[in-house]
Amino acid sequence: MSLRFNRRSLLRGVLGGGAVALGIPTLDLFLDGHGQAWADGARLPVRFGTYFWGLGLTDTPAGGTRWVPKTTGPGYEITPELEALRPLRHKVSVLSGFRVIGDGRPNIVHWTGHASILSGVAPAVNNRMDAPSFDTRIADAIGGGTRFKVLDASASGKVVSYSTRTGAAFATPETTPLSLYTRLFGPGFQDPNNADWKPDPSIMLQQSVLSAVGDQRQALMASVGRADQQKLDQYFTAVREMENQLALGLERPEKCESCVVPGAPKSSIKGASVDVVNANTKAMARLLAMALACNQSRVFNFVHTPGASETYMAGASKIYHQITHDEPTDTRLGYQVETSRLAEQVMQGLGDFLAELDAIKEGDGTLLDRSLIMAFSDTGYAKIHSIENIPIFLAGGAGGRHKAGQHIAGKGDAVTRASLTAQMIAGAPAGEFGVGGMRTSRPIIELMA
Amino acid sequence: MRRFATIAGSAALATAIVLSAGIAVQAAWADPPQSTAGAEQIVAIRRLTESQYRHAIADAFGADVRIEGRFEPERREAGLLAIGSAQLSITPAGFEQYFRLADLIAGQVTAPERRARLAACQPAAETARDDACARQIVSRVGEALFRRPLTEAESAARVQTAAAGAEHTGDFYAGVALALKSLLVAPEFLFRMERAEPDPAAPGQYRLTGSTKAERLSFLFWDAPPDAELRRAAASGELHTAQGLRRQLARLAASPRLQQGGRAFFTDMLQLEHFDGLTKDSKAYPKFNQALADSAREQTLRTTVDMLFVQKRDYRELFTSNSTFINRHLAALYRVPFNSKGDWAAFTFPKDAERSGIITEATFLSLFAHPAASSPTRRGVKLHEIFMCEPTPDPPADVDFSKVQALETGTVRTRLLAHMENEGCAACHRVSDPVGLALEHFDGVGQRRTLENGQRIDVEAEINGVKFSAAPGLGLYLRQQQKIPACLVRNVYGYGVGRAPDERDEDYLADQTEAFASDGYRVPHMMVRIASSPEFFKVKLPARAKPATKVAAAATHEGGLQ
Repeated sequence: MSLRFNRRSLLRGVLGGGAVALGIPTLDLFLDGHGQAWADGARLPVRFGTYFWGLGLTDTPAGGTRWVPKTTGPGYEITPELEALRPLRHKVSVLSGFRVIGDGRPNIVHWTGHASILSGVAPAVNNRMDAPSFDTRIADAIGGGTRFKVLDASASGKVVSYSTRTGAAFATPETTPLSLYTRLFGPGFQDPNNADWKPDPSIMLQQSVLSAVGDQRQALMASVGRADQQKLDQYFTAVREMENQLALGLERPEKCESCVVPGAPKSSIKGASVDVVNANTKAMARLLAMALACNQSRVFNFVHTPGASETYMAGASKIYHQITHDEPTDTRLGYQVETSRLAEQVMQGLGDFLAELDAIKEGDGTLLDRSLIMAFSDTGYAKIHSIENIPIFLAGGAGGRHKAGQHIAGKGDAVTRASLTAQMIAGAPAGEFGVGGMRTSRPIIELMA
Repeated sequence: MRRFATIAGSAALATAIVLSAGIAVQAAWADPPQSTAGAEQIVAIRRLTESQYRHAIADAFGADVRIEGRFEPERREAGLLAIGSAQLSITPAGFEQYFRLADLIAGQVTAPERRARLAACQPAAETARDDACARQIVSRVGEALFRRPLTEAESAARVQTAAAGAEHTGDFYAGVALALKSLLVAPEFLFRMERAEPDPAAPGQYRLTGSTKAERLSFLFWDAPPDAELRRAAASGELHTAQGLRRQLARLAASPRLQQGGRAFFTDMLQLEHFDGLTKDSKAYPKFNQALADSAREQTLRTTVDMLFVQKRDYRELFTSNSTFINRHLAALYRVPFNSKGDWAAFTFPKDAERSGIITEATFLSLFAHPAASSPTRRGVKLHEIFMCEPTPDPPADVDFSKVQALETGTVRTRLLAHMENEGCAACHRVSDPVGLALEHFDGVGQRRTLENGQRIDVEAEINGVKFSAAPGLGLYLRQQQKIPACLVRNVYGYGVGRAPDERDEDYLADQTEAFASDGYRVPHMMVRIASSPEFFKVKLPARAKPATKVAAAATHEGGLQ
């Protein structure tokens, strides 16, 4: 009955020979008891989120695009498809010209692009990544000490997340604002600003439930093959996170001045048209932002629309994916008009999302100023399934670590440079990222303070 | 044998390294024939599906226990979630759900009105611990949930949880609830751990343990854990004998629970989980709502199970029959009368309705379409994938889409013809589109129509030189395709063993398909034949665990942190 996964017993376990495949990030060892600051009391870790949307942005095939600013560095101009970012342009960096280097692997349409950005390697097969997604590294580094090491949400009704530790099993997202609200602020939530806080004695009984489960770990781990060991490892990591969640419930939560517990959202309309997806995005952004402000989590993954997005203009018979391929380039305007209109709508989702984070005041700035959001897509120009010039944005000041508001031209560099930069700014212990032609140890230093 | 020798050699090396680092690592799996001879090995771990979880709870505690919660998404591999389930684990968000569900279930089953059902014993006092009674409850429920008797350690841990809980709360049943909760979140419940043991009849070989065989059988036939009789047969060794296995198979196949097993199999094979994320445009399809989606799903399962498992008809009739079951929602969608007083009624479509089996049900037609339009390509792709086990390759990345232009007028056929002119596209579209085009008299939710954008819809199609027209023509074409029963056999086998068949299974599958044909394509008989064949219990040893050298190195490194 002794197996408890706190740091001390972990160390004991490691020294006692139980290190076979315990999925515990070394970094936890360096954090202080609450995981809120580095052990030497240095600055707070930032919050980190990924934001994904499907089908990239639009090219003007004769030359140029509808989104890449002409000038690089600070003060870039707002192009038509970046219109939604105008109010926050000084907090958003635009990364253009980065590409996937496949090392001979095929371009698996609507998968290779974001799988490469997240895992650092062009995947061999569809719906599988060849390495863990990098958000998990960040979550391991900064997500400890909160109720949810990472939160996953999807706004289009599709049960889709691209966050994975094994490459095969992906995180389970909340798919409606109401379910996200219930997970965050329903049973188990403790208002950090509640003056009458008392520890709930039943939590200790719940802890005893898990210790019996942990007792079997050693015996099980020793009697399985490699692949099954990984699965059990992931299961026991989940048990440990539940333990952490329970342990936190026994500690008086630290006051959060910006935390205002929101009311329950109304149950939303089920739909995939872009107006519905954007409305869900906004509602979920508000909840995620408050979850960060209330110190329930520090890391999230958000999917606006999946790759090969099936969103559409309400009432239209064709979906976005189909339109990107079928619509001819307008001979007079030089681009796909309907495609670009949908791209603008989809980017409105991102603009609204960031605005919700920026609406929460924290210290002398906003929540967005203390966060880093990396937004990206599955393709560059979707009509031709391009995995060059995939649009990537880094938003938020990351507590002063991100020199935001710049346009960086990647000039054909690997997308993994952006991923590495995000990891370093967010505080993950990464010195390099990616495999083969996409292996890099060069972050985009222009963006790093 | 060579394989074992290699493993043994590397294990010896690993052990030496481990010992030199002064760390005791259990390297049991690395060396099955020697150091752990006689021991069981876990050869596969498969996460329980949502319906298996629900059936397990109903069997252990009663069908009236409420299970309200969300389950983690499953993963489809080689056409089946059952095969994907062997690759899945449980994420933190998923575990939270299981933990919450366990609370909900344990609370219900220890409530005063139900606690008598938990075990024959009564605690000496309801306000104190009673280890003997707690042990009885833990043993009985534990055996049902873990699908085998609990080990002493597993039992003792839960009895201790119950005792501590009772002491803290002054309530025996509050303690029991905690112990049950601990069983309900245990990996031995949430995962099917398939075990092998040395085969006494064949030295050096492994066979599945009796309880693993029992699990494979009951999950295939009933989608539920083994019942007490099957567990008894497993424990007594009867399942290792041909006669004992035959007796249990006859019992499994004769049980009304076979329908539950059939439902689960077809829910998986027909990819009905797509209903979870299905949305339709309300302007294009005002009749579509959640109630209709639920009805469509139920129609498909009722019709399929009744035809194949109750009436035991020829599998191929699934593509040609115009008999089905409908309710009020579906009657409105199909524009037919509904005269029954009950919720559901048997119904036979008239000939001119052009309904021809499962491919013309609202399920297939709406799942594989766009939110506001039909999609012949998607329907064609899915028809090949689901019923013929022929997945379509991913589209090439470098298609020249300049020839494929939007059309606001005319029918979808015109647009697809453009794909046919493009060599990169044609290879797949020539296969997928004709069958989809034959279904174009049905829109994106399955309502019949004959016009699109004011033009008559052409439902003529040709594939491999065979011409047919509309859904009934397609149904007859499919009935003749040998691939269709062969695909079902492949799926039933893969579903049962939790592994994608490979080339070494081809002869076996061909023989099974032949037997299926000579028996008139009766599905339950085919399931019994498969489950009684040695291939159904074949042991595939997994790749070894992480090399112990690595473990030692990692441990040394961690030790250095001290």
